[in-house]
Amino acid sequence: MQILSRIPQLLIYGVISGSILSLGGIGVSLTYSILGFANFAHGDFMALGAYIALGLFTLTAGLGIPSTPLGPLSFGFGFILSFILAMGLTALTVVLIDRFLFKRLRHTSSIILMMSSIGVALGLRNVLQFFWGPQPHYYIEKIQLAIVIPGVGVRIKPDQVFIIIAAIVSVGLVHYFLQHTKMGKAMRATADNMALARVTGINTERVILWTWVIGAALAATAGILAGIENKFITPELGWQMLLSIFASVVLGGLGNPYGAILGGMIIGLSEEVSTAFISTGYKPAVAFIIMIIMLLIKPTGLLGKRR
Amino acid sequence: MSLLTGEGIHSGYGDMEVLHDVSFRIEEKEIISIIGPNGAGKSTLLKTIFGLLKPTKGSVTFKENSITGLAPDRIVRLGMAYVPQVENVFPSLTAQENLEMGAFIRKDDFSDRLEEVYELFPLLKERRRQRVGKMSGGERQMVAMGRALMLDPELLMLDEPSAALAPKLAEMIFERITAINETGVSILIVEQNAKESLKLADRGYVLASGQNRFEDTGENLLANEEIGQLYLGG
Repeated sequence: MQILSRIPQLLIYGVISGSILSLGGIGVSLTYSILGFANFAHGDFMALGAYIALGLFTLTAGLGIPSTPLGPLSFGFGFILSFILAMGLTALTVVLIDRFLFKRLRHTSSIILMMSSIGVALGLRNVLQFFWGPQPHYYIEKIQLAIVIPGVGVRIKPDQVFIIIAAIVSVGLVHYFLQHTKMGKAMRATADNMALARVTGINTERVILWTWVIGAALAATAGILAGIENKFITPELGWQMLLSIFASVVLGGLGNPYGAILGGMIIGLSEEVSTAFISTGYKPAVAFIIMIIMLLIKPTGLLGKRR
Repeated sequence: MSLLTGEGIHSGYGDMEVLHDVSFRIEEKEIISIIGPNGAGKSTLLKTIFGLLKPTKGSVTFKENSITGLAPDRIVRLGMAYVPQVENVFPSLTAQENLEMGAFIRKDDFSDRLEEVYELFPLLKERRRQRVGKMSGGERQMVAMGRALMLDPELLMLDEPSAALAPKLAEMIFERITAINETGVSILIVEQNAKESLKLADRGYVLASGQNRFEDTGENLLANEEIGQLYLGG
């Protein structure tokens, strides 16, 4: 009974962690469906976003932009401004990485692109370490009291509510983009069949640019939200989550952004609920086992199409 | 001046040359049918015209511009559209979204053109919100042709539009091709279903082993005994 009573609380943690994994997974999934390779640098795009936001926050504080906490949240306007600017700057950095590296390798093979993404991952992480050092940096120093939801008895902090809402808003925007804008539709068309997209006259280079912009902005969002949840960030922040993110993407169906959202939620929930039964240290193993089981049963994933 | 001419085209995949000296011409508003046995190089010819393959020798001229070796996304802007034989639709998009993609390079309002294409294929209007991946072969072919027509091309190239379709559906597709031609679009069609495609063609070319064998009006080719025995199954 002791164990079961903890489960509602763990489900809340699962939704929070699932929100972050989903946002990371959408980018991995989009890159895979358009460019055809598993981007190992995606976790480090998350860390990059989190550090850019940290740098900007220090800057906005220096410029005297108010950072008094907004309502029950433990951060203020300055932080939210830094958050939004960091999304843009991360996207810009990733687009530059594409121009200088991935674009030149695009006509080679997916293996070469994947290997070069490992290089980008290591490079980015070391750049972060060079400027900020390997030690953790506090994101939010204020200690926040959790609200107890009456009746269920589960506790949730206002910052965690913010994380969930930010994830829902981001997913909503991605959905709107993919379904209702010309570029979003062209992105789905290019994911279906790039050769036909070219024959049709779709500017596939523009589609690739947008894929990076959206993937990177969501990666920055995921990294910053992870920083809010953990209260500190390290250069390893994204790399450590990459296995769980890949597991989410494979579970949901490689190349399907909606699958990445579903997969992220399932992996997040499973990892957190598993801690009621086994040690917290096994969280990555839980993600890995789910991924292997999915690959054995249906390699195309829950929402994947048959190829 | 012809709408499209090809002269002495040599082309193929890598070291394997498939077309050895092929020439042809298409006048405005004509339907041209290219027939020939499997492996004659019919699809290779269309791919070479549309810039998906680079000819090693010879030239392609469209509306008095040399388009030899030009990339497909440039050729499509000149007023030529191409429907590949397979994988010619975006399966995860709806029928309407497929048509919208056909008009991707248009920045203006193309709703008038969309209505015109729906008039040619009324069934697509009914099913416009359905995902194309769930549609039948005949419906997909209509989506593919509709998509290619969105830019109001002067020349439409079709690679085996009736392949893998039941006879009734194939008949309907041929009937639509005639209807498209009546709106002023020239059509270059490559077909296994030689008899049917020659019936609607103004002129035809018989391709064999990567070379021109015969060229004549559709009627004469159908009446030719040698062609009948060799390529039309007697």
